[in-house]
Amino acid sequence: MTALLSLAFKQLVRHRLRTLLTVLGVGSGMFLFTSVETLQQSLASVTEETAADTTLVVYRENRFCPMTSQLPEHYADEIRGIDNVREVIPIKIVVNNCGASLDVITFRGVPSGLLTKFAPEIEIVEGGSAEWEKRTDAALLGEQFAKHRGLKSGDKFDAVGITVYVAGIIRSPFPQDNNVAYVHLDFLQQASKSGLGIVTQFNVRVEKSSDLKQVAEAIDSRFKSDQQPTNTRPEKAFFAETAGQLIELIGFTRWLGLGAVIAVVALVANSILLMVRSRVKENAVLRTLGYPGKAIMFLVLSEGGMLGLAGGIVGAGLAWGFLRWQSFTMGSEGHTLAVLPEISTALLAIAGALILGIVASVHPAFVAIRQPIVKSLRS
Amino acid sequence: MISCKAITKSYTKGANTVTPLENLSLKVPRGEFLALMGPSGSGKTTLLNLISGIDTPTSGSLEIDGEDIARFSRKQLTSWRARKVGYIFQLYHLIPVLTAFENVELPLLITSLSRAERRKKAEEALDLVGLSGRSDHTPGELSGGQEQRVAIARALVADPALLVADEPTGDLDRESATHILGLLRSLSREHGKTIVMVTHDARAAAAADRALHLEKGKLLTTDPNLTVA
Ligand SMILES: Nc1ncnc2c1ncn2[C@@H]1O[C@H](COP(=O)(O)OP(=O)(O)O)[C@@H](O)[C@H]1O
Ligand SMILES: [Mg+2]
Repeated sequence: MTALLSLAFKQLVRHRLRTLLTVLGVGSGMFLFTSVETLQQSLASVTEETAADTTLVVYRENRFCPMTSQLPEHYADEIRGIDNVREVIPIKIVVNNCGASLDVITFRGVPSGLLTKFAPEIEIVEGGSAEWEKRTDAALLGEQFAKHRGLKSGDKFDAVGITVYVAGIIRSPFPQDNNVAYVHLDFLQQASKSGLGIVTQFNVRVEKSSDLKQVAEAIDSRFKSDQQPTNTRPEKAFFAETAGQLIELIGFTRWLGLGAVIAVVALVANSILLMVRSRVKENAVLRTLGYPGKAIMFLVLSEGGMLGLAGGIVGAGLAWGFLRWQSFTMGSEGHTLAVLPEISTALLAIAGALILGIVASVHPAFVAIRQPIVKSLRS
Repeated sequence: MISCKAITKSYTKGANTVTPLENLSLKVPRGEFLALMGPSGSGKTTLLNLISGIDTPTSGSLEIDGEDIARFSRKQLTSWRARKVGYIFQLYHLIPVLTAFENVELPLLITSLSRAERRKKAEEALDLVGLSGRSDHTPGELSGGQEQRVAIARALVADPALLVADEPTGDLDRESATHILGLLRSLSREHGKTIVMVTHDARAAAAADRALHLEKGKLLTTDPNLTVA
């Protein structure tokens, strides 16, 4: 079997141009497929709720853009008093673009000292908390945010008319944290001229995931008859609802992924079929030498599988590298979606390409042994 | 070794039936080098294909080494061919992208031999045809005569008792042809191979122990004295 595999490999390597072109084609298809899968998966990671989710977002009712959601900061104290609420953080959000966007910059203003209390999971990977506390224009950048913009601690940058100093880089298990720049609340309130005491939303940590619904209801009913009624949803549901268009768009890309898969199958099938047709005599000779039909089919399937595998490695590898390097962050209404490829997605694409290559060769493999030997030799 | 009794082979295509071999009987003793002659279309290749088990007779029996291969299933025939027959084609039919060594090794890839054993056997076979110096050359880098010697090495490598050759010198110049015929002769004489060779050429037939003439699917004569020039 290894001897036959190595024979198939020699055939591929020594028909260099044909192999190269096919691998390029399969590679393009698998590049597309890996990108689409990454997009789907990244989306799922910020919209599909899991048992580990304990964050609620309190927004102004019937408002959809951070600019128009204005809630009094003091709501925080009242929310904190509700049962099963572990911590509350008022957040002022400023974005460069309210609608769906590919290059979103999000500032989150939070009260000094409260960030680590609210989300103790956050880890400072670069810089220090001392400078964060000391400077009024200090910012803690999410890892993804910093990487995308090539920023490191000690840098200064400005966006949306706000200039900040990078005090540190943070890493968080919550995807949203990694795509934003945290700044001091009062600093952002002043810089954005919205005035002190006004925030965009509250993030609320509850004790456990099963408390989400009940706490959300309690919050909304508490402020129902207030001047600024609220709408409270789990963070991922909030994103899923507000980024509807973005999600629809990403959902549409599934068809591109399917198209890529079909293209790969068609390409390999065509290439292998041409190969089989051009080797009618060669295969008849092998059968004359005593190669069973199964061995011939195995050779054909191996060539298809290897073409798929090579194309998969090229395509998935390039897509993985490209997406890592680009680190796209999409956003909608202040919530963000980082398009980050997982190793498992790349491996899935490679395994998928291998299987597609084999599947595409099944018909050609039958074609290869269909004719009687004598007829093939005479052709 | 070979005993054909009343074999008939016909091909049916639509309403037409062609019968290239009709009621043919033939015996070839072990170790004989037999030449099959006859005009084009007389059924020589068809007979060779039956003897080598790549085709099956429509009727009759075809005993080789005591086994009636006419009754074999396709699967049985395949494994029988791998062990018992080496086929040499007029146009060599080497795989163009493989080296001489790799071409010769082909029949061994489907055996349980180890890599080292395969290497040893393939090298011996190439040595036997006098091409051990060319084992890394691809068919494109060899002359016709050398290609045919590689093909002979490939037919020999699994050590079958029977070799069949369909006009093995038909595409070669005189000198290469002489070389190939000498090689076949020594394989029969020194290695005890039974050889059935189809040829057009009386000179080639002369290298054999006996020559038979086929015409319209029937044997004309079995007298060797009539054919050797
Ligand atoms: N597979 C086949 N299908 C139909 N006719 C065939 C087939 N093989 C051989 N024939 C016919 O049988 C006759 C003998 O062919 P062949 O054995 O190749 O002759 P030779 O080798 O003596 O030139 C020819 O008329 C040929 O057309
Ligand atoms: Mg012929």
